[in-house]
Amino acid sequence: MSDEIILRIAQMMIDELKLEDVTAETFDPDIDLIDEVGIDSMDLATIALIIRDEYGIRIDEDDYPKLTTIRLISRYIEEKLKTAQENN
Amino acid sequence: MVAVSQNYTKNEWKFSEIIADPTVRARWEKVRRYFFLRESTYDMTNRCNIRCEGCYYYEGAKQFAIENRNMGAWRRLMDDEKQRGITYVVLAGAEPSLVPELCAICFQAIPLGAIATNGLKVIPKSVNYKIHISVWGNDETSLKTRNAEHMLARQIKNYRDDARAVFVYTFTRNNVAEAYEVTQTLAENKCRMTFNVFSSPVRYEGCLRHTEESLRQTGYTMAELMSIYPDTVIFSPYNIVAHTHPLSLHGLYSCSYPRMNPSADIGLGRSFRQYRTDLTWDRSASCCVPDTDCADCRHYAAGSAVVTARLFRHACDPDTFKAWLDYVDTYLSVWVMDYEKGANLCDGPVQPPGDWARDIRG
Repeated sequence: MSDEIILRIAQMMIDELKLEDVTAETFDPDIDLIDEVGIDSMDLATIALIIRDEYGIRIDEDDYPKLTTIRLISRYIEEKLKTAQENN
Repeated sequence: MVAVSQNYTKNEWKFSEIIADPTVRARWEKVRRYFFLRESTYDMTNRCNIRCEGCYYYEGAKQFAIENRNMGAWRRLMDDEKQRGITYVVLAGAEPSLVPELCAICFQAIPLGAIATNGLKVIPKSVNYKIHISVWGNDETSLKTRNAEHMLARQIKNYRDDARAVFVYTFTRNNVAEAYEVTQTLAENKCRMTFNVFSSPVRYEGCLRHTEESLRQTGYTMAELMSIYPDTVIFSPYNIVAHTHPLSLHGLYSCSYPRMNPSADIGLGRSFRQYRTDLTWDRSASCCVPDTDCADCRHYAAGSAVVTARLFRHACDPDTFKAWLDYVDTYLSVWVMDYEKGANLCDGPVQPPGDWARDIRG
């Protein structure tokens, strides 16, 4: 599940932020998205909307600062999905 | 102003559904091209050629900073700012037109920006930033609150036919009705204008401070002026909601400037600085209108960042998202050279999303 989500988030980043010279497979899931890729809060909000559409979860605005890598975003999604399953 | 009832009964909207409407998608694509803008603000000089009641510059410690007029120091600051990722500068206090050589240095380094001025001294055309000219009522009121004669006529003479110029009418508790004659004069002179709402400096309890009733009157007046002078007024129904609501911008949207936002990880909390004239900055005082009372802040500059930053919460249904798009389209038109505002997507007001209503109820 985790690898699948990582690849999907990487593809979202590439598509939405029009990143070049990288594919979902070559996108380092541990690269710092803010310091090294240069994404900002508006970019992250856009990605959060796509994630909401695909996974049915909300990313709280207060949580943006924690989501600095694709791996961290992926873990966040998994945890939210797990909590949702437990609550059902 | 009473909010229109939402046209949609569905509980959850997907973002892809909201932007499936071609008009909405086109506007979204138009505004998102400017997500790269990262601002900071700079006090340019301690001096001003007039002295206005309620001026936020002459509150707090920043007015006592020792002016640095060394052009090399300013050039280095701007180069460093660019390195830091700043793509947009706002040159403000106290009166930037008194130091045009410093404005020119900023423009050479970072070509996107705006200057807040009283408009009494022309800023050279070579500084191709947006020029925001502050208007606080008709000439009689200006004489009383700003101690300057024939202010509007002088401002228009200086900036008529200047594509950089946007006249910013600040509604106070006392000048709401005067907005009609001022707007008419600006329209007759083919000037563009937008609206601001007086936001009290900390501890200010003077006669300009708004009441709920004056905010309501301001909202009605704004709506009427938008309707009478659509080619003159750059605004949207959602701007009216956001800036005349009984709650401040911070109360409605939770301000994202460093002064109210402890996170330095991303967004404004990370990149925004407000430099004093000695080229120092203080995180605890950093916002676009320092020394303004956050509980009374409805400032147009603050809203441009604070409302815009709340993209996620506005993407909850088509009406709310359209309202946000109108707001961002308005802000870009006011702040970015050569950006043209489209027609508003919302005809009427939409309530802001978020927790504010629950917070009011307790």
